[in-house]
Amino acid sequence: MTDQDNKKIERRQFLTRATKAGISIAAAGIVSARLYDRQGSKAAVDAGLLVTLPDFSVPRKNGQTICIVKGSDRKATVSKAIGLLGGIERFVAKGENVAIKPNVAFASSPLLGATTHPELVAEVVRLAYKAGAKQVIVTDNPINDPASCFTLTGIGKAASDAGARVILPKPGLFRHTTLPGGKLIVNWPIFYEPLANADKLIGIAPLKHHHRSGASMTMKNWYGLLGGRRNVFHQDINTIIAELAMMVKPTLVILDGTEVMMTNGPTGGSVSDLRRADTLIASTDCVAADSFGCTLLGLKPSDLPYLAKAQNAGAGTTDYESLKPIFAAAS
Amino acid sequence: MGLISRRPGRLESGIGIFLLAILLLIGLGVFIKQSDFDMGRFGINTVALVLSAQGSKIGTEEKPSFDLPVPSGFKKLSEAETYVPENLYEKIDGKATLYIESGFVKLFTQRFVSPVRNVISNGVGENDDSLWFELFVYDMAAVRNAFSVYSVQKRADVEALPAMQFGYRTGNALYFVHDKYYVELVGSSESADLLKAMSDLADKLTPAPVFRQENAGVGKVTEIPELTLFPQENLVPGSAKLYLSDVFGFDGLSDTFVCQYRAGDESITAFLSKRPSPQDARTVTESYYNFLVDNGGKDKLASDKNLQTIKCKVLDFYDTTEIIFAIGPYVAGIHEAKNQQSAEKLAAELFDKLNKIARTTKND
Repeated sequence: MTDQDNKKIERRQFLTRATKAGISIAAAGIVSARLYDRQGSKAAVDAGLLVTLPDFSVPRKNGQTICIVKGSDRKATVSKAIGLLGGIERFVAKGENVAIKPNVAFASSPLLGATTHPELVAEVVRLAYKAGAKQVIVTDNPINDPASCFTLTGIGKAASDAGARVILPKPGLFRHTTLPGGKLIVNWPIFYEPLANADKLIGIAPLKHHHRSGASMTMKNWYGLLGGRRNVFHQDINTIIAELAMMVKPTLVILDGTEVMMTNGPTGGSVSDLRRADTLIASTDCVAADSFGCTLLGLKPSDLPYLAKAQNAGAGTTDYESLKPIFAAAS
Repeated sequence: MGLISRRPGRLESGIGIFLLAILLLIGLGVFIKQSDFDMGRFGINTVALVLSAQGSKIGTEEKPSFDLPVPSGFKKLSEAETYVPENLYEKIDGKATLYIESGFVKLFTQRFVSPVRNVISNGVGENDDSLWFELFVYDMAAVRNAFSVYSVQKRADVEALPAMQFGYRTGNALYFVHDKYYVELVGSSESADLLKAMSDLADKLTPAPVFRQENAGVGKVTEIPELTLFPQENLVPGSAKLYLSDVFGFDGLSDTFVCQYRAGDESITAFLSKRPSPQDARTVTESYYNFLVDNGGKDKLASDKNLQTIKCKVLDFYDTTEIIFAIGPYVAGIHEAKNQQSAEKLAAELFDKLNKIARTTKND
């Protein structure tokens, strides 16, 4: 080493260097603090872009909230039920856009009752157009491959033949939402775009046993609106179903108990899983519809915790009898 | 006196360069990792993204580990799909937990269609009345697991498959166990043609390499010892079920076989679970007894003299009879029988059989 190398710095130089180092550290700290993202990657979803599903409900009419029709012909029972609730004109006005959300979860045959029966979808599409609907869309975000689901369930063809537009899920159709007061639906993607321009929303669900939740009916049908890795919600299935009932305010729900999947749900697989109950329920209160529906599975509303949760959250009533249900036969 | 030298030495420079290189490597690692993060963890629908890119397919493209014959008169309707525990819900939704909790390893599926009647393509709405079926092969890792998912889902009033040890068919489907595999063939309609095609495929499947066992015919499985321990008199054929956890709502009772018996017009449920040791069997018996008492069970005396001589628990449980005992490594008993006398008779028979086994084992 040279003498110059070994030359000691003076006090002034030391203070200058120390000050510069301190300023550098402070600047790095300030920049880091400003860049620090407390919410992690969720910040990618700008809170300002969160959406809320429109309220599709219609004004309540006493004595015309829930209707239960007996019969084996789905076209006849659904027409009768809607008629007794005030007619399709109560639910669809001329020039409106109508969204129909069947359960198209699985790529399985309509024979198995795991998905909404295509005849029922077609009839509701027909009724909506009869009321003067401008456009009817049929949409769902299935668990299996969407194209196969809509094809093999027969729903795609039935809806198209009836004049509806079938919308399959794709990334651009999802938006994030947060349910006020929700525990699970927080900044979560939902199948929003097809419903954004709709004036009315009608849910049509098959009545079936569900291995995880006990029963899959009209409230569980809204699970098909969730995007992302929604299977994580199976760990708290009762809460997510109740939150879905809070999030979605439909115009009308239709619960098909013509053939009920009594065991091995939600997929079933055998015709021997089904029992003919020849019952169709239509209601503006999905909690009431499901509360009656579960009795066809041999359950009481109290056997399904999500019903009480939804009721407590104000989504409807489990005491369907208080609504003075209309009972009728299709023929 | 100065504190620091004006110019760093070579050693200091070397250390500085070394530290900068480390930081550079860390930065590079972070960059690579963040460019490959799991979007699904943040609520982004990766499946939908993949679908939109690929057009239609869910599941992996992994080929099955065995030769898949195509039934005569049929052709493959879609690409084969393979699922693992992480994505099984994409195929069977809420039922996935049943399989995963039972040791599920992998599912292979394949659809077949009769081209004569089919015009399906991979689009929306071209045909709704075709003749097709889907094959599901669940690899459950062990024959007990396969038997468990088979038995707990078994439909009532079905027709047994004669060539299978554990197999049956319904109006539109076939179900059977072969070694560690649980197999379903589900048809789109109640058609004799479909059932024949599915039966043909089942026959061709089981001799395939992955299914083949030495000295085992079609549908034969490794013996499940517990099934031979139940009394045979009045046993309802094919009624055996294996529950792997939370048996009768009690989380302390697992890996339990349950069989149904006829007693006049009534049905009685007998159960049996082999534990790791006699001590464990006694502990589980005591825990289950306490569980029943905590939930409203009340002790009552056994009327059967044979049962009085053994340390068994007899309880009244909401007007039904529960009997539970431990013998050797076994926990066994009767569950929710309506008739106490019939329940005690069957419990005594079950005890005798297990007692002989326990003695034989002890002598061995």
